Amino acid sequence: MTARLYSTDPVLDAFADDVGSDDPIAIVGGQTRWETGGELAAGTRTIAAPIGIVDYIPEEMIVTVRAGTTVAELHAELESKGQWTALPERGGTVGGAIAVGENDFRRPARGDIRSAVLQVRYISSDGQIVTGGGPTVKNVSGFDVPRLVTGSLGTLGCIAEVLLRTNPIPSRRQWFESTDVDPFALHELLLAPGPILWDGATTRVMLHGHEVDVDADAARINVLGSFAEIEAPPAPSGHRWSLPPADLRSLPSNGMGTFVAEIGVGIVHAEHPQPSRPLSPAVQLIHERMKAEFDPTGRLNPGRQVGAH
Amino acid sequence: MDLRLDADDLNSCVQCGLCLPHCPTFRVTGDEAMSPRGRIHLMREVQDNNAPLTPEILDSFETCVQCRGCEPACPSSVPYGHLMEQTRESLADVGEMTPLWQRAMLAPLSTPVALKAGSSLLGVANKLNLVPKRLGLPAEVPVRQQPLDSTGTDVYFFTGCVMDAWQRDVHRAGMRVLQAAGIGATPTNELAPCCGALQAHAGLTNQTRDLAEQMMLNLRGDRPILVDSAGCGAAMKDYGHLLGTPTAEAFSARVFDIQEFLADHVRSLPTVEPLDLRVAVQDPCHLRHVQRVHLATRTVLRPFVRELVELEDDGLCCGAGGAYSVLQPELAGQIRDRKVDVINGVRPDIVASANPGCSMHLGNAGVETLHPMQLIDRALTS
Amino acid sequence: MSILRRASQIARGAKSDAPADPLLAALQAALDPDRVKIDDAHRSLLGKDASVFEGGNAGPICYPSTTAEVAEIVTIAAQFDRAVVPRGAGTGLAGGAIPLGAPVVVAVTKMNRILEIDEANGVAWVEPGVVNLDLTRHLTPLGYHFAPDPSSQQVCTIGGNVANNSGGPHCLAYGVTNAHILAIEVVTPAGDIVMLGGIDPEPSGYDLRGVFVGSEGTLGIATKVAVKLTKNRPAVRTLLLSFSSVRDAANTVSGVIAAGIVPAAMEVMDQAITQAVENYVGAGYPRDAAAVLLAEVDGPADGIDIDANRIREIGLANHATEVRLATDDAERTLLWKGRKTAFGAVAQIAPNYYLHDTVVPRSQLADVLDKIYAIADAHDLLIMNVFHAGDGNLHPLIVFDGREDGVLDRVHAAGAEIIEASLAAGGVLSGEHGIGVEKQGYMELLFSEIDLDHQNRLRRAFDPVCRANPGKVLPSGHSCADIQQLRSVPAGLWG
Repeated sequence: MTARLYSTDPVLDAFADDVGSDDPIAIVGGQTRWETGGELAAGTRTIAAPIGIVDYIPEEMIVTVRAGTTVAELHAELESKGQWTALPERGGTVGGAIAVGENDFRRPARGDIRSAVLQVRYISSDGQIVTGGGPTVKNVSGFDVPRLVTGSLGTLGCIAEVLLRTNPIPSRRQWFESTDVDPFALHELLLAPGPILWDGATTRVMLHGHEVDVDADAARINVLGSFAEIEAPPAPSGHRWSLPPADLRSLPSNGMGTFVAEIGVGIVHAEHPQPSRPLSPAVQLIHERMKAEFDPTGRLNPGRQVGAH
Repeated sequence: MDLRLDADDLNSCVQCGLCLPHCPTFRVTGDEAMSPRGRIHLMREVQDNNAPLTPEILDSFETCVQCRGCEPACPSSVPYGHLMEQTRESLADVGEMTPLWQRAMLAPLSTPVALKAGSSLLGVANKLNLVPKRLGLPAEVPVRQQPLDSTGTDVYFFTGCVMDAWQRDVHRAGMRVLQAAGIGATPTNELAPCCGALQAHAGLTNQTRDLAEQMMLNLRGDRPILVDSAGCGAAMKDYGHLLGTPTAEAFSARVFDIQEFLADHVRSLPTVEPLDLRVAVQDPCHLRHVQRVHLATRTVLRPFVRELVELEDDGLCCGAGGAYSVLQPELAGQIRDRKVDVINGVRPDIVASANPGCSMHLGNAGVETLHPMQLIDRALTS
Repeated sequence: MSILRRASQIARGAKSDAPADPLLAALQAALDPDRVKIDDAHRSLLGKDASVFEGGNAGPICYPSTTAEVAEIVTIAAQFDRAVVPRGAGTGLAGGAIPLGAPVVVAVTKMNRILEIDEANGVAWVEPGVVNLDLTRHLTPLGYHFAPDPSSQQVCTIGGNVANNSGGPHCLAYGVTNAHILAIEVVTPAGDIVMLGGIDPEPSGYDLRGVFVGSEGTLGIATKVAVKLTKNRPAVRTLLLSFSSVRDAANTVSGVIAAGIVPAAMEVMDQAITQAVENYVGAGYPRDAAAVLLAEVDGPADGIDIDANRIREIGLANHATEVRLATDDAERTLLWKGRKTAFGAVAQIAPNYYLHDTVVPRSQLADVLDKIYAIADAHDLLIMNVFHAGDGNLHPLIVFDGREDGVLDRVHAAGAEIIEASLAAGGVLSGEHGIGVEKQGYMELLFSEIDLDHQNRLRRAFDPVCRANPGKVLPSGHSCADIQQLRSVPAGLWG
């Protein structure tokens, strides 16, 4: 193995030492999606990623944060400056959220997690500190390593630190509920609605933006049906389905059982799991080569596989 | 070889490619060699790097419609039209362009007697179905026509060659409209047999120069010269550049497209019931891209029809291009197909086109066209 | 056809003759002879794009019209161990489409169909040769548009936008191309046809779609693209703010972002550009202002009035000398026309220009601009600035006359210093033009050897044998990047 090049950051160096370069290893965060992609191989050493907010520049709308920091802690800090990120709030860590790459139901209001990671630092299979991407909101300097790492379940590198895009929190957010409205008509009517959740009977929608805009939208949606203001609903739970948004119109006909659908997005939280969606052989080949390139010895998160279900 | 292109003009192209979508031949082929940027690059290859005149290079130059749609799109204001005309002239001089049979076809244009005889012959032949359809002649080539009479001496009315032979009715309509606006016109007839545009397109620029000199001599004075063919008007407005003399420049300054001229006199026209028609305006390239007075068509036409609609294609060429539809029938047809799709898309009752070549070319694809003057004339007389 | 020409055609052999070269024969059998070009004219033309780079060397040029044909071309190239380079409109400024080592050039200009508009799923399926503005014009009557709007949008293709992750003025609020592409059908360097991504929100597997966007043709050739439909904005407010210093304009931009407003666009033009634009199109910009800021907010009418007012206040707090709100569509169109023709206006000043593209943190804009003006002075060059200020994307424009002795050396030296100044301020090499062959040499300033090695691993997973657009993006020293190693051309065939 090549000697490790040390960075100027002792925390990253210590984490790289911790990761090492020989034995099977997995990074453990909040374990909120620990079942995704299969079971961790027995005998794998588990460690935690470093924690802490490194640098938050609200006027640049970027924040640099260690992977082991909880999303809750990060968002608490950001909220003090009226900002948030696209990371899901489900109790886990920043690194875990990015490794899994799933958005939560707030995506329409907060953006896509895959567009939020501007720069990533990870420890490679052979223990090196690698940086991908850059610190600016716009960047086409080389290959898009942050997008590759996001959603890779830690199989390509151990995420140590990320630089995230932040967004201003809208001045007003208000949830509404209706039992006599077509959720698809609602989605078509609004220019940029927040989340729209539908369980087959009840539709819940969040309107967001300036006070005047929310009031105007509230008046518009009342033409489609009768709405009542409600508190923010809890995050939907259950098995996660990913479907083309138009397919949600034919719910519930997929044998998914009870469900809560994210209208306009295509995610459905259902009683039963989605049938497996195997990769085509040619895409599978690229996956295998990718894994072999980044982790030739197969020591990173063994047993877990992206796109396995 | 030395194409005798001005080095500054040739170098003014920075190869940005913004011209590409405005070039009809690039649009239908997707081939860089059939784009203005590509053609300029090949001019440089020939002039600066002495590249041999391969069939592909000649093909690139020959397939240009010379619509000059690239010029308004060019941020560097490259004088593309002049570069292409000079290229063709240099190539024609050494026999690499415009073969004898084409030259023979162009010869009668400048000789009214020969043109009339030829046209009548063609008209008869056409009626007997002896003329190949690809030549794109109008369905009815007139065999005999009534002469045009002078209505006054305020302006000259340029009658020209082919248009006078085949579309004298348009001239007649134009003169009636002028008369309705209180403008008396003298038809130029034998005084100005041909503007020389087609010859210049073919690289036979010396013939154009001779025709220009002759016309300038015969139309001395300061009367405005009105032209109802966009291609002829553009050529005559370019005499100043072509001959490079103050006299020629002064002459060019007297040349107006008839719509351009009438736009300033539209209030002199009587108020009448508009024609109950939805009219699509098809801008001839040499009106829009070269003379850049196409907005006048809307000004003069608007009071006389129920509805004017625009074609949303940035004035992309229809493929007529003077003799182009005859010389490059396949490309001309493909370019026309695009235009016809755009026209059908706005579902007009009729298309207004201020250039005889365009209306004939579109007419052969079943598109009903009238010259703006014919529409106004119809409104005024109905 | 002239007699001379006919003679010359006879001399070089009739077209129906079987080509001597087996690669060519295979390509011509796969397409048809008309859509495979090998003549000097085409090779010279396709050896260039809109960049200043010379030295391109195109092999056979193919014009496929279907995915199957692209796959066949790539497979044939693989059989003959030749590289492939995709090409759209050839408007790239970093030389990404310049063929190196006589590869097979795959020009997708004939693949220009809009295949399907699927409103229910919010996507349009298009071929890569569809022109960006053509797509938006097609979508507008349906109430949608394609959000990325690069300045070359009237000519650049969706395939090119995907390859370069293109931006444009309105990407500030809407995001660059990667945020607007859902799925891409790709012919891999081995000739396989794969679908990357999907129109569902979480396609399984690694985000290969996200990785493909911006990869400059080095991971394969896009043959079909699912683009996101963006709803047209119900209302727009466009403001023109004038300043007596570029610093005030830059500070206003930072101030707006810091205030939590994300306008649709924020564009800054300095005085040299402003005056050039005024001379060229007369957009109504103030000639005496040291800088103007064009800011646009869109969305529901009431809210954007609030935002527009706050932008006005922030501008005034930063010493704006004039704040003008476009009163109607005509005025707004004119203000934008000035911005969009800025590069054209510059071409009126000198025959050549070199357009740079770096990104810096927005808070650093004013300092970096000061440095850029100092660099221009030191090299006795005219530099103008017109840029996407909202996302820190600088476009310093060096205007010069290439016929002047030694000027190119000064232009390149100044360019290098601009890049170094941008990186020193915490910026990156390119915001939207890409790396191509232009900035390979600078990649080592931004990334470590290990970082670059990992980028190369990513590339190898798609293309283990360096077949797709070799010699681009990664600096020499990394696999696929050393042009010297590229397969040379069979003797005699390509001259």
